[in-house]
Amino acid sequence: MGADSSGQLPLRLQLRDSATFDNFHDEGNELALQALRAGGGDSLYLWGPAGCGKSHLLQAACHAAPGAVYLPLGGIAGAQPAIFDGLEAIPVVAIDDLGLVAGAADWEAALFHLYNRIREAGGRLLLAAEGSPAALGFRLPDLVTRLGWGLVFRLQPLGDAGRRRALQLRARHRGFELPDEVADYLLRRQPRDMNSLFALLERLDEASLAAQRRLTIPFVRGLLQRS
Amino acid sequence: MTVSLWDQCLDRLEGELNAQQYNTWIRPLQAHKTTEGLRLLAPNQFVRDWINDNFLERIREILADIVGEKVPIRLEIGSQTIVSDDTSAGTSGTTTRNPRHNSTLNPNFTFETFVEGKSNQLGRAAAMQVAENPGKGYNPLLIYGGVGLGKTHLMHAVGNLILEHQPDANVVYLHSERFVAEMVKALQHNTINEFKRFYRSVDALLIDDIQFFAGKERSQEEFFHTFNALMEGEQQVIMTCDRYPKEVDGLEERLKSRFGWGLPVAIEPPELETRVAIMKKKAQLSGIELPDEVAFFIAKRIRSNIRELEGALRRVIANAQFTGKPITLDFAREALRDLLAISDKLVTIENIQKTVAEYYKIRVADLHSKRRTRSITRPRQLAMALCKELTSHSLPEIGDAFGGRDHTTVIHACRKVEELRESDPRTSEDYANLVRILST
Repeated sequence: MGADSSGQLPLRLQLRDSATFDNFHDEGNELALQALRAGGGDSLYLWGPAGCGKSHLLQAACHAAPGAVYLPLGGIAGAQPAIFDGLEAIPVVAIDDLGLVAGAADWEAALFHLYNRIREAGGRLLLAAEGSPAALGFRLPDLVTRLGWGLVFRLQPLGDAGRRRALQLRARHRGFELPDEVADYLLRRQPRDMNSLFALLERLDEASLAAQRRLTIPFVRGLLQRS
Repeated sequence: MTVSLWDQCLDRLEGELNAQQYNTWIRPLQAHKTTEGLRLLAPNQFVRDWINDNFLERIREILADIVGEKVPIRLEIGSQTIVSDDTSAGTSGTTTRNPRHNSTLNPNFTFETFVEGKSNQLGRAAAMQVAENPGKGYNPLLIYGGVGLGKTHLMHAVGNLILEHQPDANVVYLHSERFVAEMVKALQHNTINEFKRFYRSVDALLIDDIQFFAGKERSQEEFFHTFNALMEGEQQVIMTCDRYPKEVDGLEERLKSRFGWGLPVAIEPPELETRVAIMKKKAQLSGIELPDEVAFFIAKRIRSNIRELEGALRRVIANAQFTGKPITLDFAREALRDLLAISDKLVTIENIQKTVAEYYKIRVADLHSKRRTRSITRPRQLAMALCKELTSHSLPEIGDAFGGRDHTTVIHACRKVEELRESDPRTSEDYANLVRILST
């Protein structure tokens, strides 16, 4: 948690870019973004392959709603279905990596009941998974039909031009410009899934700050060769 | 003052934790000022324990740092009524968030909004009878059938009509899970007598999805007694179940037999005309005029249940609202694509190589080889371009997968294919065919 390393925190604090609607590059997914931004009740379900922006959008929705909760089922060690208890009191509940609990009877029942409680309480439930509601392998039919009850959006992954624009948008939000040629250089040589690319962008940003150098191809090349 | 103190603390935590930790654990906490200090409310025990183990110390430190002295903190499970943020325009198909009156009935679920068809005629008639004459006619009324067919709607419709006739009637709707949860709570807090008294005093008890009582013996026992008391007092009981109760495993025999006392009515999946009528009705409730051809188009593709119909309709309406375009067949097609597609096929380099080799009737080994005859190089270039387009692999990785070629070769291949797709209809057709084969 780095709670004690206060000496280094201010710098990192400035660098951290949390996921918001504004720093999401919505190319091809404009409707999903609009629906999320618009708020409103009922459930909203996002699906698509890894790196297409599901987690970003769910976290952005939480960012925009005070008191919201983001539950990445793959990222909580020792998570139990009891983690859903009482969440109907929370205005926006976002559950990520939904597919991970498909087929687990206790989780399915807990999710089903949570869905009903949230609906009854008038709250908003946001869900994300890699497959459509019917494709996740949930066994409880009551749950499957509910997942497809609200709005369902399939997120489109970006092509290379879109990836470049997404990187540049992210860079701008972090306070620097990513030149076209540097972005293309990365896209020609590095894994092109967005999670890897954003992680790389963060590294480049930190390295360029530390070295007091602008992001140029020679600088980036040197950095990538060293690692 | 304390609210702003907590806000200051939040700011600090947001800076220190990664966004995911912050959104998962810190954001849902509610803070309230007390005479001694700060009371933090976590939604459940899991979150509370996690906060306790991982963040509480840091929260104490930050608060002490801001105030200049220790701030006593009480971390508890619970929540205070939230003011839900409802400022945004309704986006989905339904009209509004359920406004609630004193009961837990959904006022939108009425007989007027229930679309009658062959599949649910009997159920609707029975429900109507019960609503007109609660406790005196069919008791209990048991509505059973598959998921998403309108059982809950019908049940609420009865409750709403009873209330319309007798506004002071005590009509209670709850899901069987809630019954179980409340009973457990009552046992824990030693208030089981209040629990019993409450449920035995209602004029009508509407209890949803009784199949969830299966295997919960103590709840069944309690419900059995409640049920008997209500029958004796001529109070109405309405239940839903996803199948005929006799077929529910883990339900006691005496309950099964009692549930069959009154009138069990089945609801079947709606036939096409009813599905179309349902779509039109739902659209109308959202203030949308749905063209017949679109209603038929959706209803033909979604047969199994009404929830999915609604989901598809919502998506069509959302598309129309966000784009400002009229609802046409193409629109419906688009909406159904997201909802009904099963999943994105995982496209791998190996997969692409295999497909391309088959398509051109060459061997995968040829794609890896150094051979440079036209009949091999062209498919190889196409395969590389497809790898770039359809996977997230880096270009060096792609080159490597084609017999250890350089990433510049991949770039060259992609440019070449791009050119050919412009100039050569044959290549353009092959490319399109391959994309289709690979992604559907």
